[in-house]
Amino acid sequence: MISSGQVWPTIDGPLGLTEEASVDYARRFYKFGFALLPWLWAVNCFYFWPVLRHSRAFPQIRNYVVRSAIGFSVFTALLSAWALTFSIGGEELFGPVWDKLVMYNVADRLGLAGLA
Amino acid sequence: MDRNQQRPRSSILDSLGEELIGILTPVSICMFTVVLLVCLLNSDPSSSSFSSIATAAYSETDSDSPWDKLLGAFLNSLVFVAAITVATFLLVLLFYLRCVTFLKLYMGFSALVVLANLGGEISILLIDRFRFPIDSLTFSILLFNFSVVGVFAVFMSRFSILITQGYLVVIGVLVAYFFTMLPEWTTWVLLVALALYDLAAVLLPVGPLRLLVEMAISRDEDIPALVYEARPVIRDDSRLVQRRVWREQRSNVNDDDVENNVVRAEEEEEQRSEEISVPLIDSSSSSSRPETFLEGIGLGASGAIKLGLGDFIFYSVLVGRAAMYDLMTVYACYLAIIAGLGVTLMLLSVYQKALPALPVSIMLGVVFYFLARLFLEVFVVQCSSNLVMF
Repeated sequence: MISSGQVWPTIDGPLGLTEEASVDYARRFYKFGFALLPWLWAVNCFYFWPVLRHSRAFPQIRNYVVRSAIGFSVFTALLSAWALTFSIGGEELFGPVWDKLVMYNVADRLGLAGLA
Repeated sequence: MDRNQQRPRSSILDSLGEELIGILTPVSICMFTVVLLVCLLNSDPSSSSFSSIATAAYSETDSDSPWDKLLGAFLNSLVFVAAITVATFLLVLLFYLRCVTFLKLYMGFSALVVLANLGGEISILLIDRFRFPIDSLTFSILLFNFSVVGVFAVFMSRFSILITQGYLVVIGVLVAYFFTMLPEWTTWVLLVALALYDLAAVLLPVGPLRLLVEMAISRDEDIPALVYEARPVIRDDSRLVQRRVWREQRSNVNDDDVENNVVRAEEEEEQRSEEISVPLIDSSSSSSRPETFLEGIGLGASGAIKLGLGDFIFYSVLVGRAAMYDLMTVYACYLAIIAGLGVTLMLLSVYQKALPALPVSIMLGVVFYFLARLFLEVFVVQCSSNLVMF
């Protein structure tokens, strides 16, 4: 939503951050995402969605947001490749190791499935 | 539009519909999710070896007589309410001494514990129930991501509104589900006791929550607690209408000038202080630490309605406990709670100060639960078994 000719960098519009603060936030989210946090990258892209849509405005923020988007896609591709191989392959592919790795067995072994 | 400048001081009734929806939606989502979890996970209500501070005085067993159970429930509630009172007074003291950083760190820590610990346990229960073939590596990465971003959402002051709201609702759902595992009699007596405590704490001059609100007003800061703030309503050519009720009362400015509002909006954008969270403590750990939630409903810095997370939690506990009996009681309690919330919001618009959100809804909810269970069920079952109705 464009009001009085100004485009806001965040998805919250006028309730969100100003442009200067946004650069700081985008940079921090991008850097923190490297700690195995692809969801943070996704949140970064979601929060700064107007930056991705209007490709001319906010060059600094766009830098970080685009890199976050790429990082998120790569990580998701890798993780889902592994997860799908695991769940679809099952016992035939992995053998007895499958039973050791699957979550409900691990939870049973470590006693996490019960409450309190 | 010029009409704006001639309008008398805009009250909350002008955009009540939109703001009502903004509060009712997350409350309904929270209740619906808890009912869903209760129905899916089908936890046997009498099997819980669930220990927390709320069962410290007495653990209910099936073999006790009703009088014993009632007495035990009273003792449990007394202990719990006392613990909450102590914790709330501690919060007031810390806020008075301006230990803002400590409170904020504690909020982040408690959000992390709830999301990682309780969230992890519930996901494991769900995976177990559905035999979902996920491996431990993927699961731990997902859980880690989810909790850390949740801590960011709760911790940082300027974060995406939608994501912060989503995470607060999730935290409410997780804690509420764990509270539904308390023994039955204890749950009901506890809910009534908490409704009375909330009434006392917010309305009595010596009540801790009232002290907290007054301190926050006098210092012009946000109350340090996990509160759900509905998205502020933007209207009139997308200019933010600031209804800073407390500030208006202080400076006694009868402000109906839009220009003034916009200027003030900008000031507040800069000084919008952090939302600091309440000491929200894990209930399922064996170390019986007390729990504190901020209960109450008030107007936020930008005029948006704020509802404490404790209210979300206890509404959902009521509905979740009703779900353990039958879905009929769920419908009755849901309608009662929404009606109570509507009444509370109306009172908020009339009195324009922080009000306890628990009493009306919980009382209506409890009354309707027992009425539905004792009378409605018999009626409906008789009608449908004789093919008259339903």
